[in-house]
Amino acid sequence: MTATLVQQLINGLTVGSLYALMALGLTMVYGVLRVLHIAHAAVFTLGGYGGLAVYQATGSFWLALAGAMLAAVAAGLAMERWVYWPLLGKPPIATLIASIGLFIGLEELYRIVAGPEPYAFAVPLRLPEIRRGPLLVTPPQLLVMALTAGLLIALWLMLTRTALGLALRAASQDQEMAAACGMRVRGVVMANFAIGSALAGAAGMLVGIYYNSVSPTMGDVAGYKGLAIIVLGGLGSIPGTVLGALVIGLVETLVIGFVEFPLPRDAWAFLAMIAVFLARPQGLLGVK
Amino acid sequence: MTFLRLALPLVMLPMLLALGALPARAQPTIKIGFFAPLTGFAAADGASTKHSAEIAVEELNAAGGIKGKKVELVVYDDRHDSKEAVAIANKLIEKDQVVGVVSGSYSMPSRVTAPIFAKAGLPMVVSYAVHPDVTKAGPCVFRNGYLGQVEGSAAAESAVKLQKARKIAVLTVDNDFGRVTGAAFIERAKKLGAEIHSDQVYKLGEKEFGPYLTKLQGQGIDLIFHTSYYNEGAQIVRKAKELGITAKQEATEGIDSAIFLQLAGAAAEGVTFTTNLNRDDPRPEVQSFLKKYQAKTGSPADMVGASAYDAVKILARGIEQAGTDAKGICATLTNLRDYPAITGKISRFVKGEVTKPVQIQIIRDGKVRSFAIIDNPEVITPPVQ
Repeated sequence: MTATLVQQLINGLTVGSLYALMALGLTMVYGVLRVLHIAHAAVFTLGGYGGLAVYQATGSFWLALAGAMLAAVAAGLAMERWVYWPLLGKPPIATLIASIGLFIGLEELYRIVAGPEPYAFAVPLRLPEIRRGPLLVTPPQLLVMALTAGLLIALWLMLTRTALGLALRAASQDQEMAAACGMRVRGVVMANFAIGSALAGAAGMLVGIYYNSVSPTMGDVAGYKGLAIIVLGGLGSIPGTVLGALVIGLVETLVIGFVEFPLPRDAWAFLAMIAVFLARPQGLLGVK
Repeated sequence: MTFLRLALPLVMLPMLLALGALPARAQPTIKIGFFAPLTGFAAADGASTKHSAEIAVEELNAAGGIKGKKVELVVYDDRHDSKEAVAIANKLIEKDQVVGVVSGSYSMPSRVTAPIFAKAGLPMVVSYAVHPDVTKAGPCVFRNGYLGQVEGSAAAESAVKLQKARKIAVLTVDNDFGRVTGAAFIERAKKLGAEIHSDQVYKLGEKEFGPYLTKLQGQGIDLIFHTSYYNEGAQIVRKAKELGITAKQEATEGIDSAIFLQLAGAAAEGVTFTTNLNRDDPRPEVQSFLKKYQAKTGSPADMVGASAYDAVKILARGIEQAGTDAKGICATLTNLRDYPAITGKISRFVKGEVTKPVQIQIIRDGKVRSFAIIDNPEVITPPVQ
């Protein structure tokens, strides 16, 4: 029982880590622009394909990761420049519809360019298997959790220790005030898109490696579950999103592991979202 | 190189469409209608069936056609969409005026079109779609693939009798195919004396099997049987290996695809599965098809392709004996005995359902090899009233 519980916790944390990387960009964009960035899921998928292409060309994991993140940053910035920024003054529904259209269009583009079949993304991992009593962390799980932890620490340091981080936080709290203090808000918005997209690109490549599969529709789950996660955590709240992602990952896993429950796993994120809307609209760590 | 291979179907699609739009040739041909999902999530299977059906037609024409007339395959893409499939069915009947139809598609498009062809009195041969209702549309619908009940029972024969599994865990994909096949497996396995440890149901498209498989660790399970397609099947075998689960694994024809081998990699070693294409079948017609498919597409043949090849050839057999008269073709196929299909010798059709042995294949050194053949009549006789 203990062994199974420990193992299921590891399973849940791994999935939760992947959810966190996917959802962070969503919450960051919402924080500065108040836009639900559905097309973020297409940026995530691009990370998978970009990472795979660079890996096939170079055979280097780190170059592939850099490639995935750069491709994602380029895509995120392009979306900001040509879709979201021009629509900023329009009613929020306009940006939402544009974002959904962008997501569908990009998925089809990936299908046309790369084909509908999944590609294998096999990377030999030179990582140890951790076995301590009932605890087993497999190399792919170690990769996902370690890399997620690394990226989250880097993000946290950037937000709390740098001028850019200060500007990002200021812009998400009160954009007009920040502008009045002489901040270049546009630059901050772009930095926000760049960082969120980079995380999504890394997530796309990690998911590709973790499941050994990159396909045009791999962003679907990331897209809709990401929304539920950021609502759960508190729209715009970065720690809330990480917490929400881990909670959803753990709940999904533990329910499959220990309860005979007729609903599919994806239902939990949405049940949580509905519950949050009813009981605590600002989310777990959000502020009113 | 990879991208070139990927771009090829894109270039070929408009060509195909153009081909379909050509006016009828002066010389009369025998037209066979064909539809499959050439785009969308099932495109890999659709492409395999199309290439294989074309090989069948090329062979027929190389041998002088049927009764001196060339055979023409009229191909449509149903995109695994029922509305599209209905439109195609009407087009094949009215515009193309085909003699008979072959479905290279899944259950849904096959199921919605079968009643339309039945009403028009056209013979239809279904390559591999599994839904039981497909053949109930009329007396002239024939299925070359097994029913889920047959496949599940045959898998249980292999698991319990041949692989000596005493304690079995089942993972079932939540759709018609998975549920019917899984239930038949459990029933037969229990009858043969095995213990079913659990029957976990997962949704189509599931990627994360850690929680399901962790439940099976340290339970003394001899064998895991999963109804799955290549995506889910590959995730199951990879995760089981990652978690150090050493139980044997058996799957179904859902994983019979080169993509499964790519995605599963080394974790696929030793996995057995039920299917109808035996790669080690020594018969020259089988080996010749396998070679031609490899030469035409650059990848090894799979179950859906071989089934579509057979479906075209079965329909052609009917036309050879009865001409283009639909009733005659139906009667010929209904009375067909011991037909040497490349997916196993068909002893006969019972109410449109095929009777032939079930192949158990195994993955060894990254290749699909023969493991056993299940021909117990109690198992392979289609369960129709």
